[in-house]
Amino acid sequence: MIREDRIIDESKLLRCTVCEAVNLDKGDDIYCHRCNSRIFRNPKLSTSRAWAFLITAFILYIPANIYPILFSEKLGSRDANTIIGGIIVLWEDGSYPIAMIILVASVLVPILKFIVLIYLLIKSKTKRYKKNKINQHKLHYMTEIIGPWSMVDVFVVAILTGLVHMTTVRVIAGPGATAFVLMVLFTMFAALSIDVRLFEERDKNGSS
Amino acid sequence: MTIDEENIVLDRLIICSKCHTLHHKVHIAKGKSAKCENCKKVLYHYDERILDSGLALGITGIILFVISNMFPLVQVEFLGHEQYVSITSMIFSLFENGFYVVGITVAFLIFIFPLMILIIYVALSWMMMTGQGRDTTKELLILLSKLLPWSMIEIYVVSILVALVKLIGYMQVHFGLSFWALVLFMILDIYLSKNVHIGELWELRNRIYCDKGR
Ligand SMILES: [Zn+2]
Ligand SMILES: [Zn+2]
Repeated sequence: MIREDRIIDESKLLRCTVCEAVNLDKGDDIYCHRCNSRIFRNPKLSTSRAWAFLITAFILYIPANIYPILFSEKLGSRDANTIIGGIIVLWEDGSYPIAMIILVASVLVPILKFIVLIYLLIKSKTKRYKKNKINQHKLHYMTEIIGPWSMVDVFVVAILTGLVHMTTVRVIAGPGATAFVLMVLFTMFAALSIDVRLFEERDKNGSS
Repeated sequence: MTIDEENIVLDRLIICSKCHTLHHKVHIAKGKSAKCENCKKVLYHYDERILDSGLALGITGIILFVISNMFPLVQVEFLGHEQYVSITSMIFSLFENGFYVVGITVAFLIFIFPLMILIIYVALSWMMMTGQGRDTTKELLILLSKLLPWSMIEIYVVSILVALVKLIGYMQVHFGLSFWALVLFMILDIYLSKNVHIGELWELRNRIYCDKGR
C-alpha cells in the first residue's frame, strides 16, 4: 500500500478534461497518464486564444443584433425582424413565456457569458492573495452548461424557414442569423479554451 | 516512487467536474453513486451493466434517430395549404436560401454529432464487451469527450416548441411521428449523459485491456 498523502502535493493535481483522470502537474507540458492528451500547453497562449475568441464573438454580437434574424413575407409585404424586435412582437402578441425564453436564451445568456468569461480571464491573471467567495470552476462549468442554449433562436429561425414557405406566407432566415450562429460558436470556443488551471486553487476540504 | 506507482495513487483520486474539489475514491454499493461533498454533483457510479446499457441504449437511440429523420417533424395548414418540415428538409431549405454557415452548423449540432455519439457508444460497448480494439477504444473515448458538448438535441426540441407557439394563431399545427421519436431520443440522450460517465468508461477500458497485457 502506498501512502498517498505524503507523496502527492494536492495543490498540484489537475483534472484531464478529456478523460477526467487526475494528473500531477510537473511543469509546462504534461500528457495525461490515462489518455495521453496534452492537458496543458501554455497558460499565456490559452488565455490569449480565449481572448481572441471572445473578442471575435463580441464583434459578431453587434451584427447579430442589428441585422434581421428573419424575414417574414405575408401577401407581398415583407417584415424584417431583429432578435429584440422579435421579442417585442411576441410580447405585444401576448406570448409572454416564449418572449421570456427568447429574451433569456438570445440576449441574457450571451451577455452573461461575456461577463463571466471576461471576469474569469481577468481574475486568472491577478494574484490570488485572498480567498474568493465565488468558485471560479463552478462559474466556468455553468457557462459551459448554459452557453449552448443561446442557439434556441437560430433553431427557431431554421425551423420556420424550413416549414413556412407557401405562396402566401414565407419565412426566410436573415443575415443576423449567420452572425448569431458564429457568435455562439466563438463564445463556446472561448469557454473551452480557458485553462482551468489558472483559476483559484481548489478547496482542500474534500476527502469524499 | 515510480511513474506506475504514482499513477496508481492518482487513480484513487477524483476531481469534481463542477467545482474541482478533490476527493478520494471510496467503495460504493452496486447501483449507488458517489456525490461531490461540496456541490452534490455525481462523481461516479457503481454500475456493473454499464456496457450492456450502453449497447442497448445506443442501438435504441440509432433506431429513434432514423425514425425521427424519416417522417415529418411537424405539419402546418394554412388556408388549405399543407406543409411539413423534417430535420433534413430544414437543413436543405437553409442551403437553398444561401445560409450555408447556419445550415452547416445546424447540421452538425443536431444531426452529425448526435449520430456520431450514438455510433461511438455502440462501438465502444461492443468492443469492450468482446475485448477487442484496444487502441480504437482509446481513440473513440477521446473523440466522444470532444463531441459531447456539441450535441444539441434537447435545445432543438425546445426550439421546435418555441417555433410552433409563434405559428399557433396563424396556422393549424400537427406533430408528426418523427417529433415523438425525437422526444424519446432526447430523453435517452439525457439519460446517457447523466449515467454514463467518461471517467468510468476509461477505468473500465483500463481494467479490460491493460490487466490482460500484464
Ligand atoms: Zn486524460
Ligand atoms: Zn463538486
